[in-house]
Order: sequence, then structure tokens, then C-alpha cells
Amino acid sequence: MRILLLSWEYPPKRLGNIADHVSTLAHELVRRGHEVELVVLDDLKQGFEDVTGVHVHRVAAPIKTHPMASILSYSVTASLQMETESSNIIYFYKQQGKSIDLIHAHEWLTTYPAIVLRHAFHIPFVLTFHSIEGHRCHDHFNTTSLAIKEIEDMGIWESNSVITNTDWLKKEISRYYGKGHDEKIRAIWPLRPNWVDEVVSVYNRAMQ
Amino acid sequence: MIMRMRVLHLSWEFPPRIIGGIASHVFDLSRALARRGLDVHVMTCNFPGAKKFEGIDGVNVNRFEAYAAGDSFLGWALRMQKNMEISSSDLISGTRGFDIIHAHDWLSGVAGIGLKHLYRKPLITTMHSTEYGRRTGIHNDLQASIHEIEGWIVHESWRVITCSYYMRGHVSWCFRTSESKISVVPNGVDVTKFSFNFNYREVRNRFAQESERILLFVGRLVPEKGLDTLINALPIILANSLNVKLIVVGEGPQKEVYQRIANDYGLREKVFFAGHIDDWTLRTLYRVADVTIVPSKFEPFGIVALEAMAAHCPLVTTTTGGLNEIVDDGGTGLKVPIDNPNALAGAILRIVRDVGFKNYVVENAYRKCLWNYNWDKIAEWTNGVYDAVLNEYTRSIWKPSG
Repeated sequence: MRILLLSWEYPPKRLGNIADHVSTLAHELVRRGHEVELVVLDDLKQGFEDVTGVHVHRVAAPIKTHPMASILSYSVTASLQMETESSNIIYFYKQQGKSIDLIHAHEWLTTYPAIVLRHAFHIPFVLTFHSIEGHRCHDHFNTTSLAIKEIEDMGIWESNSVITNTDWLKKEISRYYGKGHDEKIRAIWPLRPNWVDEVVSVYNRAMQ
Repeated sequence: MIMRMRVLHLSWEFPPRIIGGIASHVFDLSRALARRGLDVHVMTCNFPGAKKFEGIDGVNVNRFEAYAAGDSFLGWALRMQKNMEISSSDLISGTRGFDIIHAHDWLSGVAGIGLKHLYRKPLITTMHSTEYGRRTGIHNDLQASIHEIEGWIVHESWRVITCSYYMRGHVSWCFRTSESKISVVPNGVDVTKFSFNFNYREVRNRFAQESERILLFVGRLVPEKGLDTLINALPIILANSLNVKLIVVGEGPQKEVYQRIANDYGLREKVFFAGHIDDWTLRTLYRVADVTIVPSKFEPFGIVALEAMAAHCPLVTTTTGGLNEIVDDGGTGLKVPIDNPNALAGAILRIVRDVGFKNYVVENAYRKCLWNYNWDKIAEWTNGVYDAVLNEYTRSIWKPSG
């Protein structure tokens, strides 16, 4: 299977736990014989690198100044740069008669490129939520949080499968975004011994 | 079989949604391109009462859901463009795709960047204006952000179109890009809109007395439009025993300042601030006015000058920006330096008093509209830009399939 991973962080860029989560996932996938292309936003380091089999593409945010340090304009413009890099990867394989089988996006920050790529190339995508905006803003939705919530909602609707790290977050997603999605949400605790195999089973189901 | 060239126009506004000048520009340009036989599609924001899909004079108009929560106008504008990009993708799947993606300004150019890479088709962007030009400089983070986005779009576009050579120089300087990648295609005017029957006396008497000559100013009342220069020229004109009345069409933050200057000069009876007026009345005003004056200090193009020329109204402008290219001094109008009331008064006196010269200038100006600024001509030039880009694209290695 050829998988395109989209992440906001990947070592050496560490903002939270997602960097190590995505790094473990990518290397475990490669160890199981899958091909992994990983696109990550990194303002300090750019370009292609083969990290023990994982093809890492680091891109920089194209727009440096944002009014009131707006996360929204930063994320939409930066994720567009990730999207163009992903397009280039897809065409790289296309020209060899190959294709990307699945896109796996992490968090709302990389949701837009996954949605757009799905519409353009009809590639199924899986979305992992490590947290949701309602918790981060403690239910005090200002216009920024509202926008992020909308993006998360779009991602849940448009994705083929959703992964959460805990059963609790799965229930919370139902509470915030409606019960209709229960079917496609799968809670996979990433400390279980064979959690990557469970992720692969989600991939397989998403591709059907 | 020769395939018709397929073009996708991206615009955040399109009639009936009219916010600035881009709506009418895209409306006229897309229809003119369709008349030339191109397969033209427009992707634009939805609007209450407007259809999701409709054909307008051969143009396929698609409207997408433009609602999106955002932290600011910028946040909305970027999320709106993601919706634009997704809807365009859906439009493209199920067709053979587009040969050219043509975006207008930064409010659709970001979606253009995405689509360009998704489909590996050339992106052409018309820069109608720049954030730097609109605010004469970059003064805060919001503007800096828009300025950067504009630079990104200019960088990603295969070619950039500007409406004047002046704007080409400005865009080139502003974004450190080569002038060789910028094509100039002017704005247009539909002269047929200015030929109609109406009650000349009635309109004239509504705005001025029989003995008064009508001077017409049309524009937002902001400093760069230079109305102060024109008001300063009025006493000189009156002292040369030419009885005139100045009609000011438009609103703006400087209105009170200009009203005070006029009152201080004792010109209360000589300057009439008409505010916003409807399209039809404005066109009749162009027809009855003795001179239209554009005293701007900064002007990317100068559409008012075109409208006066199309209406056979004599024209006096400054030598700034796009006006310099529209008006040929002594041929299709008169030009004076900016901020110079004496020169402005002299030009107005000359063009009003010398009837032979006036008739000569007005006829030339009208012909220039027909030759240079009609939408079929503009569509032809735009098509020329498309052909040149497609020619380069065909020879390039950047393609969807190897």
C-alpha cells in the first residue's frame, strides 16, 4: 500500500506528541512493507529526506506575517503549500503508472489538503483526531474556534474513516458533531502492542 | 477535431453580487470571450436569489457556497477560497478539464494556486489593484499578510495581466517580479450603453442654470482622487469669466473637508455634491456635462475617463497612472500635472471655449474607445495571452501525465 501522511509536526519539529506519534506510525508502516510519503510543515528545515525508508517532504509556510498572529490564515495558507507538494508527489507516481492509495491526515490543520486531494484525485482519506476544538477552547467558541470547529466538522463528513486515540474522544466527537458518524469512527489506543495493525485495518476498510 | 479552448474564471464577485469593479469586469470579459468561441466557465460566490448554475450569453456561471466562519475578513476570504477550490474540483471531474485557469486578484488567486497544482494547468492572474497601491504603503500586519499573499500569487502565476503599463511597473516593483512576465490588457467600456434618447433640457436644468457650463467629477471622495485641486481651480475659471457649475458624484470620508473648502471660497452655489447616483442618471450626466475632469493623484486605470470618452464628453485629466495611457494630450483630451490648479483651470478654459478643438478631441476620444477599449478587442488580446501561455505550456515538461 502507498500512503500519503499529512502532519503539522514531525521530528525534529516537535510541538506536542503528534510528532512522535506520526514518526512511530510512519516507521512501523514502512517496516510492514508499505510505502510512506510524509508531507510536513517545517519552517526551519525544508526539502526531501529519506528517514530510514520514510520519504519525508518538509515544506515552509509561504506567508510569514499574519494579523494578530492568526492561526487561521497561517494554517490555510501553510496547508495549501502542503497540498501543492502532495499534488507533486501524486504526479510523480502517476507518471510511473503508480498511484497513492490512501491519505492519512492528522488534526484539523491538515484536513483541508486531504479534502481537496480527495475531490481532485478520488483518493480515500483517513483523519486522526488527537483532540478537538471544543476541548481546546473549553467551549468558549470565538470566531477562530468556530472556524476550526467547522473545519473539523467538514473533515468528519468528508473522510472515509476517523481514528481517535481513546473511546472517550470518540464519544466526545459524537457529542459535538452528531451521532451519525459513529459507524466510521474507530478508537485505537496508540500504546497497544499491535495498534499499527489496527490502523492498517482501518486503511483497508477506507479503501473499500 | 479542433477542441474549443476551455477557460475557468475564478472571481469572488459576479453580478448580481457586486462589491467592487471586478464583478462587471469579469461579466463583460467572460461574455466577450464566449462570443469569440471560447468555452468559458465562471466560479463565483453564491448570492441570495442567484441560481447555482446558469448560462449568461454563452458563459457557464457556477456559484458555490461562500459561507465560512472566520476570525477576520482575511480568515473568511481564505476559507471561502477553499470552498471555491473544492467546487472547482467537482466541476472539473466529469469534464475534460480546463486549458487555462484565470483568477482575479488575491480573493480568488489562492484557490488558483491550489487548482494549478492539482490539475497541472497554467494559472493566469489579473492583478486589478494591489494592497500597497490601495493604501499607499503597507502599514499593519493585515496589509502585510495580504501583500505577501499577492506576491505569492504573482510568483505562482504563469503570467500576470494588469490593466495599464503603469500597473505593470507597479506590480513588477511591488513583488520583485520581472516585467516580462506581465501582460497589459486594458479595461473596456461598452459605448452602446452611452447612446440613448433622453430629455437633454430636463436633465441639464436639474443640475445647473442655463448660463452655467457643467463640470463633472466622478469618484470616491478620498485624497488620491484630487478633488481639492479641482475646487482650487474654480476661482481661477470664474475669474476668467466662464460661468461654471461643478457636479461632484460620489461619496467618501473627505466629503466634509471638500464642502468646507468650497464654502470658504464662497463657492457654495457653484459646487453641487450629488452623492451616490444611479447608473442611468450618471450616464445622462456624462452626456450633458461640458467637461469631465479626473484630477487624480494616483490612479491604476481610470475607468471614469473611458466613460466620458464613450459619452462624447470632453476630458481633462492629470498625467498620473493609467490616465497617462488613456488620454493623448491634445488628441483625445487634455492632460495637466497633478496638484496644479492653474494648469487645470487653463485646460478647462481651453477645451470649453475652443469649440472646434473640443469637437476634434471628442471624436478622437470616441474612436479610441471603439478601437482600444471595446470588449471584443480586449477579449482578443486576452485570448492572445492565453495562446502564448498555452504555447509555452505545450512545450514544457510540467504536465499531468508524462
